[in-house]
Amino acid sequence: MRAILALGTALALSSALAQQIQGNPNLRGEITVWSWDIAAKALEANVPGFNKLFPNVKVTVVDLGNQATYDRGLAGCAAGGGDLPDVYSVENNEAEVFWTRFPNCFTDLNTLQPAASTLRNLFPAFKWTELTMGNRVYAIPWDSGPVVMFYRRDIYSQAGVNPNTIRTWDDFIAAGRKIAAATNNRVKVGVIANGQDDEWFRMLANQNGCFYFNNEGTAVTVNQPGCVTALETVKRLIDAGIVLQGGWNEQIQAFKAGTVATSMFGAWYEGTIRSNAPEQSGKWGVYPMPASRPGGVRAANLGGSALAIPASSRNKEAAWAFVRYALATTEGQITMLKQYGLVPSLLAATRDPYVQQPQPYWGNQRIWQVILGTLGSVPAARGTQFFQEARAIMVKTQADYVAGRFPSAKAALDAAAQQISQATGLPVAR
Amino acid sequence: MKPGATPYLFLLPYLAVFALFWAWPILDSLLLSFQNTRVYPPVWDLGVNWGRILRDSAFWDALRNTLLILVIQVPLMLTLATALAVALNSHLLKARGFFRFAFFAPVVVGAVAYSAVFRLLFNQNGAVNAALGLDFNWIFDPVGAMVVIIVALTWRWTGYNAIIILAGLQNIPKELYEAAEMDGASPWQQFWYVTLPSLRPVLLFCLVLSIIGTLQLFTEPWLITNGGPGTATTTLGVYLYRQGFQNINFGYASTIAYVITLLALVFSLIQLRLFGRES
Amino acid sequence: MKRRLWWRSLGLHLFLTPLALLWLAPLWLMLVFSTHLETAIFSTPTPLLPGDQFWANLQNLQADTNFVRSLFNSVVVSGLYTLLSLFLTSLAGYAFARYQFFGKGALFSLVIATLTIPYFAVVIPQFILIAREAKTLLAVFLGMAAFGLMALALAWLRLPLWPRRGLWLGWGVLALAYLLWGVTAVREAMAFEFRLTNTYWAVILPALANSLGVFFMRQNFLSLPQSLLEAARLDGASELRIFFRIALPLVLPAMAALAIILFLNAWNDYLWPLLVLSDKNMQTAPVALGSLIGLTRVSWGGIMVGAVMTTLPFLVLFLFLQRYFIAGITAGGVKD
Repeated sequence: MRAILALGTALALSSALAQQIQGNPNLRGEITVWSWDIAAKALEANVPGFNKLFPNVKVTVVDLGNQATYDRGLAGCAAGGGDLPDVYSVENNEAEVFWTRFPNCFTDLNTLQPAASTLRNLFPAFKWTELTMGNRVYAIPWDSGPVVMFYRRDIYSQAGVNPNTIRTWDDFIAAGRKIAAATNNRVKVGVIANGQDDEWFRMLANQNGCFYFNNEGTAVTVNQPGCVTALETVKRLIDAGIVLQGGWNEQIQAFKAGTVATSMFGAWYEGTIRSNAPEQSGKWGVYPMPASRPGGVRAANLGGSALAIPASSRNKEAAWAFVRYALATTEGQITMLKQYGLVPSLLAATRDPYVQQPQPYWGNQRIWQVILGTLGSVPAARGTQFFQEARAIMVKTQADYVAGRFPSAKAALDAAAQQISQATGLPVAR
Repeated sequence: MKPGATPYLFLLPYLAVFALFWAWPILDSLLLSFQNTRVYPPVWDLGVNWGRILRDSAFWDALRNTLLILVIQVPLMLTLATALAVALNSHLLKARGFFRFAFFAPVVVGAVAYSAVFRLLFNQNGAVNAALGLDFNWIFDPVGAMVVIIVALTWRWTGYNAIIILAGLQNIPKELYEAAEMDGASPWQQFWYVTLPSLRPVLLFCLVLSIIGTLQLFTEPWLITNGGPGTATTTLGVYLYRQGFQNINFGYASTIAYVITLLALVFSLIQLRLFGRES
Repeated sequence: MKRRLWWRSLGLHLFLTPLALLWLAPLWLMLVFSTHLETAIFSTPTPLLPGDQFWANLQNLQADTNFVRSLFNSVVVSGLYTLLSLFLTSLAGYAFARYQFFGKGALFSLVIATLTIPYFAVVIPQFILIAREAKTLLAVFLGMAAFGLMALALAWLRLPLWPRRGLWLGWGVLALAYLLWGVTAVREAMAFEFRLTNTYWAVILPALANSLGVFFMRQNFLSLPQSLLEAARLDGASELRIFFRIALPLVLPAMAALAIILFLNAWNDYLWPLLVLSDKNMQTAPVALGSLIGLTRVSWGGIMVGAVMTTLPFLVLFLFLQRYFIAGITAGGVKD
């Protein structure tokens, strides 16, 4: 499977490339932005800077929550494009369903001034795959979600665990046992939303170069060896009793209460930890995710989003100015990185001096160097228009496999592949 | 006298709406079920949805859950409703107004309101656990979630059925009971040999209504358990909603809709046969 | 004998009383919880008597979703729907009950057959019509309205509305041409964006195809004595006048029962408004309330206030108008 081009080389080509946006006090109007959680807050943080350039555009950011944003977006498109905002947030993996099923629901950003094609070289090429159809550009890349382990330095050292020695998932399980033993089984090393989501499976599968679909979006690949290993590892983690089971909110409660010493997520989780547990400043650090086997890939991606402009927007010019300011200027992207930990897709922003700085909350670790350092080895993965349908099947398969209803991970994933194939009409890859 | 155009004019407004929003959609659903709606624009593909539904294990799960509710909840509710109707009809009953209000009041309560109430009552820190001294997480347990849905449905619909059965009871000729009493039948025998047989058409009617209602069950599992945990309480209605309005696959959702319709028709036909033998 | 009856009566009350209390408990607790903050709701022992936090809960609810506005939407939608539906179903029920005309049996069976067809069979095409094909809908409706107006004009001019033998072809061709012209013209004139989603009409229109109401009204019109209508006819009253002045007043109690059930059903409807009302300002109360269930940041006290506000008016009405509610329900069962 293709690996993403090392960022360094791409950076050399594009140094200092970023949009310079001319302010325009004559641009007037109100725009509404739909987003979720930290992403919504990050966009909100960009409003003051944007209003310095465009003082007469009023921006309202609405935090709908992740699932509701997706659901209402699709429903709005299905309803012929009514009831949509001026700027719409969409995860890259989930984006294709919009353009393929409703090609007229969103604005082709090439039809706006300046055309989106002028932004092409500002972002890594792979970021555009899920956001374009033919010559049409439907959304602008926003952030990426390089996966890392966020861990509690104090709890690890109290248990005598050195994160630098955790190189494989076996090491991780051993470390988890050690931490459990040292804390009377009070502290776990992860939160898995088994039965609600399959994020852990996706992160581990991606690490192993496997995903629901192949990168052309033409076949189901979820039963291939990389995914089998991933699913086995998820079950081993749960069976070892070193992780909690719970969703987004339970995870936040757990790290606030100090009952979980590790969170594995896309790097955008940095802002969630920092803003929810300011009192734990200095106690946290990051390390790269463990590999499936010694010397294996220690990187993956989860999430990463984009901004689009619905065709029904009455204020496309203002919406486009806001999208470009937030995503295509270093200023906009660094604001979001600083305040909420969103990892920029904009190449120029990944070279900003800020990413070299030690971060006090993270025990003065240069975490952005660690995180951006993994980007080059993240295997590519494509959501396709069937992402949500495949995900629903995989969530259930994982829960059933963990509950012991399949003889092996391979059998579980073979069944899942068959179901995904039926749901999508795509063949199962050989 | 020749009415001429008058009846047609009287019917015109209603039939216009009826044709647009019922007659045409029934046909259109069928047409949609033969289309692949996952591409733009949708294309004809006779087998894509009907072929899928046969092998779609999520659909069979939903069907199984729906039938499970049907088999457990409907008989439970109708038995209780019959008992209530007979009790409320008894001339021995005091405070009739109070009892009628207690059992009939749920018929005015909307699905959303009582779903909210039951979700709250069966919360892990909720009133039911407090009353029973339990710490059971009803909503997140596959069996517990199903129990909550069945309890909620029974609470809402028992009184409704009791009202219909009570009306049926009041239509039974008094002479039948007088004759039975003359023959020395005990109250229990009167119930068994006079009341129940006379109620048969009414009970069948209630049964069919309940079956059709259960086949389209959506709001309660959607709001109380969201079809979960996993797919433990995903009914046909919830699955249809997910396919149609979350995955925006109108073709496949229409196929599911037609399966529900066919099931309803089968049950109605069975009822017709049973009625037919009677009259 | 007396003694045995006494024992039986005791048994009856011992069976019914706990059950009745159990049945009332959810409603009572709904009331009680709406007056307590969330911390109190989840504390042990559960509060069983009303507290004093109703106002605070209402403010929470109002902050989470503009509930007062949704109540207003619900009143408008349910009220308008009830009036329109009463009008349509009584007209149709009257036609089916009191006239003999070609196609009557077939039409009536068609309407009644839909009673056993689950709503899901039509929900998706209905959604497509409302959300995407609203222009077509508007064209059809305007066309029909114009057709109706034309018919009225003809009636006014005392021209033969229904063609004599041999004339029907000419009339048919004329009507068809007119309809085609009307639809095309209206479509041309509607190059603008037109959508019915997030309007009151999106909720009201499809529900007007209510076959139970037609059945119910027909039953009631059937029971009117034929002699009464014939007498009016002999006096030279027009058909419309007979309907409005004589037939309708006689079935008013039945209409009241139907009105209550129609209003209640519209008020409590969830799935369809959920599909077509995504705009927060247009949502009806159940949709607004439903959107809060399951969100973790929302207060349960507030949700209970919403439940109380959507339920209590009907509980009170039910206390006083039980007879009408029951008449509506037993009329052949109300489809949910």
